[in-house]
Amino acid sequence: MRKGFLGLALVLVALLPGGVAGAEELVRVAAAADLRPVLPALEAEFAKVRPGTRVEVILGSSGKLATQIENGAPFDVFFSADRALPARLAGKGLCDGPVQLYARGRLALWNGREDVSRLTLADLKEKRFRRIAIANPEHAPYGQRAREALQRAGVWSVVQDRIVLGENVSQTAELVESGAADVGILALSLALTPELARKGAHATIPENLHQPLEQGYCVLKGPGGRGAARAFVHFVGEPAARAILRRHGFAQPGEGSP
Amino acid sequence: MLRADDLVTIGVTARLAAVTTLVLLAAGTPLAWWLARTHWRGKVLVEAVVALPLVLPPTVLGYYLLVCLGPHGALGATLERFGGHHLAFSFAGLVIGSCLYSLPFAVQPMQAAFAAIGERTFEMAATVGAGPFDRFLTVALPLARRGILTACVLTFAHTVGEFGVVLMVGGNIPGSTRVLSMAIYDYAEALDHGRAAALSGGLLIFSMALLIVVYAVNRRFERIQV
Amino acid sequence: MSLRVRAKLVRDTFVLDVDLELPARGIVTLFGPSGCGKTTLLRCLAGLERPEPGLIRLNGQLWQDSAAGCFVPPHRRGVGYVFQEPVVFPHLSVLGNLEYAHRRVPEARRHVSLERAVELLGLPELCDRAPANLSGGQRQRVAIGRALLTSPGLLLMDEPLAALDLASRAEILTRVLELREELDVPIVYVTHSGAELARVADYVVLMEQGRVTHHGPLAELIGRLEPFILDQQDVEAVLELTVDSHDDELCSTHLTFAGGSLFVPRRQAPVGKRLRLVVRARDVSLALEPAKRTSILNILPCRIVSLSERSPGEVLVRLDAAGTALWSLVMRRSALALGLAPGVRVYAQIKAVSLA
Repeated sequence: MRKGFLGLALVLVALLPGGVAGAEELVRVAAAADLRPVLPALEAEFAKVRPGTRVEVILGSSGKLATQIENGAPFDVFFSADRALPARLAGKGLCDGPVQLYARGRLALWNGREDVSRLTLADLKEKRFRRIAIANPEHAPYGQRAREALQRAGVWSVVQDRIVLGENVSQTAELVESGAADVGILALSLALTPELARKGAHATIPENLHQPLEQGYCVLKGPGGRGAARAFVHFVGEPAARAILRRHGFAQPGEGSP
Repeated sequence: MLRADDLVTIGVTARLAAVTTLVLLAAGTPLAWWLARTHWRGKVLVEAVVALPLVLPPTVLGYYLLVCLGPHGALGATLERFGGHHLAFSFAGLVIGSCLYSLPFAVQPMQAAFAAIGERTFEMAATVGAGPFDRFLTVALPLARRGILTACVLTFAHTVGEFGVVLMVGGNIPGSTRVLSMAIYDYAEALDHGRAAALSGGLLIFSMALLIVVYAVNRRFERIQV
Repeated sequence: MSLRVRAKLVRDTFVLDVDLELPARGIVTLFGPSGCGKTTLLRCLAGLERPEPGLIRLNGQLWQDSAAGCFVPPHRRGVGYVFQEPVVFPHLSVLGNLEYAHRRVPEARRHVSLERAVELLGLPELCDRAPANLSGGQRQRVAIGRALLTSPGLLLMDEPLAALDLASRAEILTRVLELREELDVPIVYVTHSGAELARVADYVVLMEQGRVTHHGPLAELIGRLEPFILDQQDVEAVLELTVDSHDDELCSTHLTFAGGSLFVPRRQAPVGKRLRLVVRARDVSLALEPAKRTSILNILPCRIVSLSERSPGEVLVRLDAAGTALWSLVMRRSALALGLAPGVRVYAQIKAVSLA
């Protein structure tokens, strides 16, 4: 009796409907982790422009997302934290249209315990920074640039042994916020979020210390309607979206730093 | 505290766990029965393969699944060639991954339960007119019910808790492959401690409750069967 | 009515090799020391072992013929099997256990009803019980009942008393003997106990090291069985008698056999029926003349066959009562005083008998 009930419950749960199916159009956006703070605002704005199109966001390090796309992940648009990865996808014929730049990211030093706005990368040599978090340079563009900046600032050889790696730049922020790392090099967009800014001021890292963090997107030959995807990327190029990006710490292509 | 998309995630997780449990119940029971009864020498090899997910990092399993199920993989490419769709980053792909990942949790308790039934009992059943399949249904299954229940609960709970395989082949797509463990990871990464704590706490209580039920039921069986 | 068995089975340390034609009626007893292959032979009959070569045929039914590649699996042989340790399905009630067997017999083939089996084995008050709450003897009764409910063409019993306590043994043995009387089912019964053998066997197969040394009706083999009887703690004789008459007023039954007649407390057996009685050597005393004015009713004239020392001070006397063997255990002192010797005519005074 009880066993029958258990089996029935299992079958019923197995028959649960999948996702929230709706008549609305759907665009699946694979986005680099540095875009996390800005996406809710972009989604809200896009909903005003094109109501009835739902945006679903999957966040991760750009490198991981690109690998997933190469392996058939059903995404419609890919917003990378660099331009090389979307270019790689385009080279493999996975994109529908050319790679477009949409923003230039900035690096920021932050630790959430003190005002670090006067600190420079050279100060990281101090012994009190026992753990320095950056994103994994293997597949996260912010990690590559952070390493470059540390090298250019001449401190890499000293701090190399104290580096801890986040899976992506968002997880790097988590490492610092939790206190596991004493300081971290994050995306400016993350340091500007209320959650982080509340805990301590950041220092923006001079752009001349690293290659520009030019970020590009591409429309993918994904499963969804290409129309919705096009509408979304078009929207990102509009003044309203550009303003939102700027407000969240992303310079716009051809413009100076925010 | 929970938003609509959290409910969707919980739904996907429960569905994945339930489908995985049903599939493994259907496929694992005969396998466990065979392993418990066969004297074939190659049996150790099969047992080792079944136990592999216990020691293998889930990411390794996930990696091979990705390679196999994706559009360039052996299985994925075959499906595509016949007009289907490859299985990476899909619910079906997750079910395959979860079934492999939870295989030992389903097979081992059942195998142990079948093996614990004395050979005499089956011989006796044969001499009172029960054929092999009859014996399986009317003797093996009822006598192994504790092991079967344990297998179900462990499989369900283990699937709810899986992370590495999902990370590799899931794609974290809401409503399809975003499961609780991924959502918690995401919330923690987004520093959304409120929702990470809510989901983690819920999962903790759920797992604890499930295990208490298993132990309580096992105790009751013990009292009945002594 | 015959059971044909030819079986060869090679195990690591043991070879079973038999070639027999047995009567398929009454109780055929496979007898021999532990490890002589009697259980293995029984398992071959049930189909639980597959001898090679093997030929097994019960009357017209061919169960195995390895030469023709024929092998009927156990569940299609229609045999009942009772294991040494009582095996009961733990997940079914007593009634559930019985029904399990009953349900699997096509109605047309059923010759034992559920009610009959329950009654024969004294199970009515146990039917609703769970096996966990049964004693060893009760479990064995359930196991025998279940074996009967397969309406078997052959009932196989593998030392069904060996795992039981003494009280249960006596009860189960009584039930088995009743089965022989009540049902027309041939039984193959394995035992290594001489006492059991003497009580149940109609036909005896003596086995040693995987081979049959002798086989034949019990009466013909009784001489060969003597060593086993003497080997026991309590030497006893088993007499086969016929019910002659009942005295309802005095509640006694009069039984006769070639060697004389006996009175026993009233039995529920019809006149003319044959019964086996056990007479223990220590319940038999000897007199040179028939005693008068004694409470002992049963006095049989006998001739002494032989005397042997049983223990210091005790002598076992082998008696012959018109062809039936009897034993008497007397003090050495008495043997000397009475001048007991082979050939001397004596009167055996039987103090007690029990139904086999």
